[in-house]
Amino acid sequence: MPLLELREITKVFPGVLANDRVSMRLERGEIVALLGENGAGKSTLMNVVYGLLTADGGEVLVDDAPVKIKSPRHAIDLGIGMVHQHFMLVEPLTVTENIVLGREPGRLGVIDFATARERVREISERYGLRVDPDAKIIDLSVGMQQRVEILKALYQGARVLILDEPTAVLTPQEVTELFTVVRSLVDEGLSAVFITHKLEEVVAIADRILVMRDGKVVGETTPAATDEIGLARMMVGRDVVLRIEKGASKRGATVLEVEDIHVDDDRGLEAVKGISFSVSGGEILAIAGVDGNGQRELVESIVGLRRPKGGRIELKGNDITHANARASIEAGVSHIPEDRHRRGLVLEFDIAENIILGDHRTPPVARNGIMHPKAITEVARKRIADYDIRTPSERVDAENLSGGNQQKVVVAREIGRNPELLVAAQPTRGLDVGAIEFVHRQIIRERDAGKAVLLVSLELEEVLSLADRILVIYEGRIVKEFAVADADAETLGYYMTGGGGSKIDKDAIPGTPETPATGGDE
Amino acid sequence: MLADIITPDLFASALRMATPLALAAIGGTICERSGVVNIALEGIMLCGAFAGVAVTLAVGNAWLGVLAAVLAGVVIAAIHAFTSINLRSDQVVSGTAINILALGLTGFLMEILYGHPGTTEAVTTIKPIFRFASERGGGGFVAEVWHWVNTILFSHTPIVYMAIIIAIAMQWAMYNTRWGLHLRALGEHPRAVDTVGVSVLKGRWIAVLISGALAGLAGANLTLEQVGSFTENMTNGRGFIALAANIFGRWTPVGSYGASLLFGFADALQIKLQIFRGEINIPPQFFLMLPYILTVIVLAGVVGRSVGPAAVGKPYEKG
Ligand SMILES: Nc1ncnc2c1ncn2[C@@H]1O[C@H](COP(=O)(O)OP(=O)(O)OP(=O)(O)O)[C@@H](O)[C@H]1O
Ligand SMILES: [Mg+2]
Repeated sequence: MPLLELREITKVFPGVLANDRVSMRLERGEIVALLGENGAGKSTLMNVVYGLLTADGGEVLVDDAPVKIKSPRHAIDLGIGMVHQHFMLVEPLTVTENIVLGREPGRLGVIDFATARERVREISERYGLRVDPDAKIIDLSVGMQQRVEILKALYQGARVLILDEPTAVLTPQEVTELFTVVRSLVDEGLSAVFITHKLEEVVAIADRILVMRDGKVVGETTPAATDEIGLARMMVGRDVVLRIEKGASKRGATVLEVEDIHVDDDRGLEAVKGISFSVSGGEILAIAGVDGNGQRELVESIVGLRRPKGGRIELKGNDITHANARASIEAGVSHIPEDRHRRGLVLEFDIAENIILGDHRTPPVARNGIMHPKAITEVARKRIADYDIRTPSERVDAENLSGGNQQKVVVAREIGRNPELLVAAQPTRGLDVGAIEFVHRQIIRERDAGKAVLLVSLELEEVLSLADRILVIYEGRIVKEFAVADADAETLGYYMTGGGGSKIDKDAIPGTPETPATGGDE
Repeated sequence: MLADIITPDLFASALRMATPLALAAIGGTICERSGVVNIALEGIMLCGAFAGVAVTLAVGNAWLGVLAAVLAGVVIAAIHAFTSINLRSDQVVSGTAINILALGLTGFLMEILYGHPGTTEAVTTIKPIFRFASERGGGGFVAEVWHWVNTILFSHTPIVYMAIIIAIAMQWAMYNTRWGLHLRALGEHPRAVDTVGVSVLKGRWIAVLISGALAGLAGANLTLEQVGSFTENMTNGRGFIALAANIFGRWTPVGSYGASLLFGFADALQIKLQIFRGEINIPPQFFLMLPYILTVIVLAGVVGRSVGPAAVGKPYEKG
């Protein structure tokens, strides 16, 4: 008897058939992976199950009984919990407050915080999800925040756990931990729906795989019956190159020169402790590192969003150390920010407006300080077509796009501006395999056109397949430099986690593995 | 001269002046914590002030006047709640409209009820609760201390004490009750609140109505405890100063009260200094500016930037 069953669910948005008679089953103790392109309708389907959206047709059955799930509250009461693609945590509140929100223990409206904390500790110990119940969400790493989301669902009594792209923002170690957690939950009798774009994860964790395209289920399979390449083909409907071949880099003149910069983080602590490097035209330089080792501050200081407190940044010989974002754009720097919601988009603006942000002062979009709607529409339509952004029109608000399509809007804008230097932080976060291939090709095309690219990524795969040169950042310092031919995931991982010590340069220590035996040559 | 300025009076007056500000500021705090900006505090306070006097004049009981002021506040706030929560219109525009409406409405009602603009007849004000005897000078140290304590703490009318109690009670409620937790979450991340099955609509409505009740009570304090009559536009920007006090108080009830005390003190000092203007030789307008200058300084973030609720001012639309 299935725990959860969907029959012919249909959901229509203005101009989009997001779910077209989708059916699926979830048995007790089973992990079903939901796979599909950006905009295929995965999040929509799960939001229907969680009561956030009302289906236009079809039926949901829980324990074989048909139910009309009208609100998240109702879904929770039925034992359905969801960890959203974009977290639903209240940042200034504590872990405990977030977990018990809506179901606080206590009497007469007064919350019994001692009991609340006790229960949180209980669940967190039972499932091995260690977290400080009194920490504020804002102080937690993304991986920790996700634990809180899972704990929240468990506290609410979830029997079905829906995870919408849970690994998009996690480091490889955190992904491994998450998998352990999900497996132990399933051993306890829970079931899970797992949405992800990472095919190797699907193969690793799923019992059954459901593939969606254009709102429909186009196939069902098991990890045993397929592999990553087969899955990619099912998803996109064509063969996908998972790792792009690129020619040798033709290095030109130096474009970006960073000299001994020091940058503070939001709390005033030094996050970048004296970093120097340069990027040449026709070169992709990647910065690899575990999240929180100063990458964010480094990137922000280069693109004019944060003021370095020491050092010098030059773009083609011009000092841009103290340039603000506008000056930085005008100097020819484009920036794909790591967090599309916080930095990349104005969610309340439509796609056309978002896709020309930053170009809104210059022709053809604007002349003499006046914006030209026609030109905006034209530019927008062109970029939407070029970057295959799935939307019924350029007038759709950015917040109504699927996560991956939001990312494509940002990428289209930043590369479309034709910059001298492209700073790309997590450029493919949340993208499907087809879109990743596409963005990777764009980045390589920029390089081949003689532009400089600075790539910051937590994905070692991405770093290894795109970069010409790799710097490893650890605790605010560059601890190692590799030519890509000399690097592999294992060695990178070793330096990223401080294996080389924090103050070490490649020349400083004799005997560190200079060229690992395994080799990462293409 | 300093001894003539720094008197127990000055501090008692500061407490009195702070009361309407504090009540409105706490209202503003609760409203903004739920995610709704309430610029209408000024207008709501004015309507409360008017309703209080009108009902007291009609029925002869100042406490019924207070009740009327609170109800008037709730009703006006309901307009703001409806436009900004249900209609999802711009909250600043809605609040501004209400402020203009309040000015016009109270002026209009003056004409209708009393046949003239300007100021109403006087009502008997609500008297201080305690009446302990104390005298300044001559009685030795103990008598002097008692005089200070008595004047500063025990010379006040009921709503002054109510404001203190409300500040403490709201602070406690905000951090210890379900209502408070939901309130704090609402203004930060309404969707998160929605997804755990707590109604955003209801939570925000309640918060806006509470802010209306408190601003109405602030109006009652102005007319029924302090002035004794209603004059057109008598709130004179207090609603806006209250908003500043809310920010200075970092969106907490007790903080709002404390900030209001500072503004109240500036006001009391200003009045006191007026008396000595012959000796000090500074134009009186300068003193009048004091509370407003303080407001500007606070809002300009000179005293440290404080960060408000993340989702404040944004209408919530269900996914
Ligand atoms: N609130 C909304 N209003 C209008 N259209 C919407 C809304 N939400 C989603 N859509 C549209 O429905 C389609 C499916 O979106 P959905 O978010 O389910 O995709 P997804 O499979 O989760 O994609 P991704 O992998 O990029 O997250 C998209 O075309 C999207 O633009
Ligand atoms: Mg999605």
